[in-house]
Amino acid sequence: MIASSDDIIIKTIARIFVPFIQIYALYVIMHGHYSPGGGFQGGVILGASMALLLITHGYDEVKRRLPEGVVMLLGSLGVLIYAGIGLTCLLLGGNYLDYSQLSVILHVDPAHARSLGILGVELGVGFTVMAIMYSIFFDISTGGFLPGDEKQSGEWGDNE
Amino acid sequence: MEVTLFIHAADDAFRILENAKVQAVGLLDTATRLTSETRWMEEKKVQGILKGAQATRSGFQNFVATFVMLMGFWALLSGKFDTFHLSLGVICSLIVAYLSHDLLFANVRVGDGRVIAQRFLRYIPWLLREIVTANFHVAYLALSPKMPIDPQIIRFRTKLESDISWVTLANSITLTPGTITIDIADREFMVHALDRKVAGDLDTGEMEDRVAHIFMEADHIYIQDVLDVSRIFAELKRGM
Amino acid sequence: MNEFFVAVGLGLCLLVFLVLYRVIFGPGVFNRIAAISAIGTKTLIILLVLGYVYNRVDMFIDISMVYALLNFIGCIAAAKYLEMER
Repeated sequence: MIASSDDIIIKTIARIFVPFIQIYALYVIMHGHYSPGGGFQGGVILGASMALLLITHGYDEVKRRLPEGVVMLLGSLGVLIYAGIGLTCLLLGGNYLDYSQLSVILHVDPAHARSLGILGVELGVGFTVMAIMYSIFFDISTGGFLPGDEKQSGEWGDNE
Repeated sequence: MEVTLFIHAADDAFRILENAKVQAVGLLDTATRLTSETRWMEEKKVQGILKGAQATRSGFQNFVATFVMLMGFWALLSGKFDTFHLSLGVICSLIVAYLSHDLLFANVRVGDGRVIAQRFLRYIPWLLREIVTANFHVAYLALSPKMPIDPQIIRFRTKLESDISWVTLANSITLTPGTITIDIADREFMVHALDRKVAGDLDTGEMEDRVAHIFMEADHIYIQDVLDVSRIFAELKRGM
Repeated sequence: MNEFFVAVGLGLCLLVFLVLYRVIFGPGVFNRIAAISAIGTKTLIILLVLGYVYNRVDMFIDISMVYALLNFIGCIAAAKYLEMER
């Protein structure tokens, strides 16, 4: 599943589309309060764009952009952002995830602070969802074995 | 009277071209004789430096062009143009353009982009007209009681050179009802056509010529062909 | 004007039911994949027509763009899986 496709039509179209898909996903995350969207939907579209690149161009192309360590980091970074904003609101003297307390740091009125707080939380959710979607797709399609690893003996061995 | 003048003019033109070819061949021979081993190596070094500089410059140009296109797409999607949303758009476009700047413009020759975009915009109405005409024909085929289809697979070599033009031609063929591109293997197209009339429409090569005109390919003039024609022309003139 | 759009939407739903025949009875899996991809393009237009009926086109354009994207990626992923399977 991770060999590069040798059909030139799909390769060209996928490489032209992927930046536009990614900018559309970021648009969906940022405009969650105004039109359908939000963190989870944008994260799914970002993960789908990475999956498209993986299918058409193979693993070497995606490895340059999104190595496995970065995927794990992004997954945890999203949760850190979410919990971090919640704890900041707690430390500033309100309830957990009570965004109006953020107006002290950001120097805006509480209504704006709520809007910015939700935007930050959605961003964290988007990162985590993208990392996990890509990771699920990659692990199921390769079984955890990359072309460079030596073959494991046993029941999951012949997966190439 | 005018015909004789024309024949004399064409004669002179062919003779001038023959002289030019002989002189060019002579010049090339001289150049090859004068080049020595060290000179070749020096030139190769200079070219390496120049090509390296050009590669990095086009990398940055790719980045800027991708950033501009993505920013335009963001502005098209989001109708709000206040500072906050525009700054968000700039940050997002910068991140995405940095991660995938070598994806969008991999093979475009530097400096040709505007002309290609203009010609592409002028190609689209012609394609729409072709689609509508073929639609009527395929609807007639599908709805008539005995359905006179004659499916065949056509192979043809193409004169286009870069992968974007292959993809444009393949997509135009697939969008036109009655023909579907099955595979492109090494400059040879394999197209499945529904009956003889749409196959004939494809065989004239008009779509391929128009796609070559968009991407400014296959427009070389081959001097040797012109000189061959001149010999045939001389024979015909002698017989007149 | 609303009735025109509702009529167009119903006509497209009828076309979707016609293609559904191939999804159910298509001999083999390739027919089913092509039929689902065709249903996807019609669903896109039905969503836009619904947007006109509810008078909020801008919201429905976002949804239909996402569906078009996922339809495309799903078709390519299914084709790649079947290529490896043989």
